[in-house]
Amino acid sequence: MPLSNANKPVLHEQQRKDEEKLPKKRKLTDTVSSVNKRIKSGTEESTAMTESQKRANFSALPSPGSNGVHRHSSPLSNNKPGTTKKLVIKNLKEKPKVPENYQQETWGKLQEAVDAIHTSHAIKSSLEELYQAVGNMCSYKMSSTLYEQLKQTCENHVKSNIEQFLADNIGYEEFLKKIDTCWQSHCRQMIMIRSIFLFLDRTYVLQNSAILSIWDMGLDLFRTHIVGHHIVQNRTVDGLLQLIDRERTGEAVDRSRLKSLLRMLSDLQIYQEAFEKKFLEATDSLYRSEGQRLMEERDVPEYLLHVEMRLEEENERLLHYLDQSTKKLLVNLVEKQLLEQHISQILLKGLDQLLSENRTTDLCRMYTLFSRVKNGQKELCASFATYIKGTGRIIVLNVNNDPDKDKDMVQAILEFKDKIDNIISTCFGKNEQFVNAMRESFENFINARQNKPAEYIAKYVDSKLRAGNKEATEEELERLLDKIMVLFRFIHGKDVFEAFYKKDLAKRLLVGKSASVDAEKSMLSKLKQECGSGFTVKLEGMFKDMELSKDIMLAFKQSVQNEKTSKNIELTVNILTMGYWPTYTPMEVHLPGEMVKLQEVFKKFYLGKHSGRKLQWQPTLGHCVLKADFSGGMKELQVSLFQTLCLLLFNEGDVFSFEEIKQATAIEDSELRRTLQSLACGKARLLLKAPKGKDVENEDKFKFNDDFKHKLYRIKINQIQMKETQEENVSTTERVFQDRQYQVDAAIVRIMKTRKTLTHNLLISELYNQLKFPVKPADLKKRIESLIDRDYMERDKDNPNSYNYVA
Amino acid sequence: MKMAVIDPAENEVNKNIWIAVGTWRWVANDDNCGICRMAFDGCCPECKLPGDDCPLVWGECSHCFHIHCIVKWLNSQQVHQLCPMCRQDWKFKE
Repeated sequence: MPLSNANKPVLHEQQRKDEEKLPKKRKLTDTVSSVNKRIKSGTEESTAMTESQKRANFSALPSPGSNGVHRHSSPLSNNKPGTTKKLVIKNLKEKPKVPENYQQETWGKLQEAVDAIHTSHAIKSSLEELYQAVGNMCSYKMSSTLYEQLKQTCENHVKSNIEQFLADNIGYEEFLKKIDTCWQSHCRQMIMIRSIFLFLDRTYVLQNSAILSIWDMGLDLFRTHIVGHHIVQNRTVDGLLQLIDRERTGEAVDRSRLKSLLRMLSDLQIYQEAFEKKFLEATDSLYRSEGQRLMEERDVPEYLLHVEMRLEEENERLLHYLDQSTKKLLVNLVEKQLLEQHISQILLKGLDQLLSENRTTDLCRMYTLFSRVKNGQKELCASFATYIKGTGRIIVLNVNNDPDKDKDMVQAILEFKDKIDNIISTCFGKNEQFVNAMRESFENFINARQNKPAEYIAKYVDSKLRAGNKEATEEELERLLDKIMVLFRFIHGKDVFEAFYKKDLAKRLLVGKSASVDAEKSMLSKLKQECGSGFTVKLEGMFKDMELSKDIMLAFKQSVQNEKTSKNIELTVNILTMGYWPTYTPMEVHLPGEMVKLQEVFKKFYLGKHSGRKLQWQPTLGHCVLKADFSGGMKELQVSLFQTLCLLLFNEGDVFSFEEIKQATAIEDSELRRTLQSLACGKARLLLKAPKGKDVENEDKFKFNDDFKHKLYRIKINQIQMKETQEENVSTTERVFQDRQYQVDAAIVRIMKTRKTLTHNLLISELYNQLKFPVKPADLKKRIESLIDRDYMERDKDNPNSYNYVA
Repeated sequence: MKMAVIDPAENEVNKNIWIAVGTWRWVANDDNCGICRMAFDGCCPECKLPGDDCPLVWGECSHCFHIHCIVKWLNSQQVHQLCPMCRQDWKFKE
């Protein structure tokens, strides 16, 4: 800026004052150097041009910050009268003129260049020359003519290209190739032309918003004259669809061509209306028929594999050539036609099989695919629940009344649960919805059969907690108990479980068959955690009794140390508090004198310590360890008290008949038969029965088996005590039902007492809210009748459907 | 034939072992406590566990109650301490 430099001394003072008016000063210098600057800015633009060239294919509008516009502001004089010298710049006296035929000549040159570009020949003039020519023409207000002329030339060229596409005899592939080439060269040409006419693009076009930029004009021409032609457009789109169709059938096709042509459609902004709609229609019908066909032909896992593959393919298609805007529509379409339409059929046809065969990978796939479609997970979850219920019911219901199956029921349920858990965690992503459905279904099928599952679960626990169960380590046992607790949680009638559990626990404790105190305590604490302390109070009391008995025995032994009570019997007594333990029917039996004496000594001792009590012996629960001398040597026999009584009899004689034994021992008939059977017909035969046979008859005679041989020294024959008899089972169940009746009575009275008057239906519904075990409405009705009989309540005189509480 | 039960050997190891089971209950003249009407085999309403934690007591008049029940009753009587059943002076039976 040499001029502004020269101005410096003149403006020195002024500059200070006008510091804030800096833009003004710039304007001055702008005007002075405007001629220079035009040329300068030209070069600046050429760098900008290369940038826009890169984006040319996207035909973006020229960037808004363009510096192509020059403001020709009027010169501002800063002259002030003063002492300093003035430097005045005067306008040209005569406006410079261009030669007359300048416009024609220049356009001629430019047209020649454009034609050369169109025909792919070398351009004669240098590009800079052409660029300047454009610039000059614009400066001399010939822009609009220039633009029109350029447009006309281009239009003529584009129009001339149409012929080659209208020929009938070309195949679609060739056609696509042609149109692709045409498009590519059109783009190339337009970029070149724009570069030359950049000045026009940046000045004239930019100032008039109604006029398309050169690049857009090119697109517009191509659209109207080539692709806009309905034959060409149809052929293009059909060709593309055919190509895609071939790819879908597995052929390899030229993806770059597809990509380029689809780009063309996007650039021409007819992708959606011309292509996408038809493409989606074609896809829709293809997958609709494919879905229907394959559902028929293939089994479900194969079908799902296919769907997964299809989705992957379409995704790749999107990645490689389709416009991203199609993504959602296309994927939705495939999902809809291949999955959503067939959800129920897929589930019906394949889910049960996959689940029962535990095919985790296929189930994983099913879950992932179904998660993609609306309602997919929901339907899957519902079918999953139905499967669990169905399969569970088969395990639980035991339609054929096969006792072996009942025995394995709990084991089967546990295995089933493990399997389902595994499927949920590996295939269904631990989905909360599925976990809940699983819980609900288990609860449903376990309670499909009343009471029995609870009973078998209790027995299963018993079998695991019993001594001699060496199959599991402590940790394994602990884990197993945890699993059982899960099943326990599903059970509605927990009182049945408690009754059987208590009965078995009592036997384990009293006969000394408990595997480990720790395991027992751990099970107890689990039950407590699950059902509250009310549930386990009695069970805990049983353990407490055992502890107390130990203390009592210690004291007893000390007190009898000095007395010569019994030479060869060591007595241990477990004292039970009635309320905690299952009810046992007392049984009177004849004990040998020595044993009676010993019993009396203990009784005296105990009652001396605890006044106000009475003691009742329970011979059914007693057991002994006897030393027996056989011809083959000494043996130690673990036997029940009843077995002991029978065996002791043979110290006084050789042969006894059934009747004689019965008279001598006074053991109850069926109990005695069972006892003798265990001694004479079991594995270890201490007695010989004549005649031989499985059952004990009244006339049978028994003889001591002196030649008894056994490889072990210590022999257990008292398993019979642990076994549950039919009567025991019935009485346990009955006691539960009895207790339930009391609970129903109590609940009815409780409700009536607060409500005073209540209709039948309301009373029943309240009862169902309060009662924690399953009851039939008919049973409730019976209890209500009974309470009316007992004057706890009465029917309303006016309304027979409602009851009044009787205070 | 010989069974070890009658074998007079006093060897500890050779002793027969008898594990007997007995159940105990209160010696009462009634099934239920006259105060709380709960079974004597159970416990008074305040207690949770029957047995030593909720014992029975007898008066000289031969009536018995849960100890918690009768103590509560006696504490509520201002002048004379009478048996709630027979109205005789209440004296604990030794």
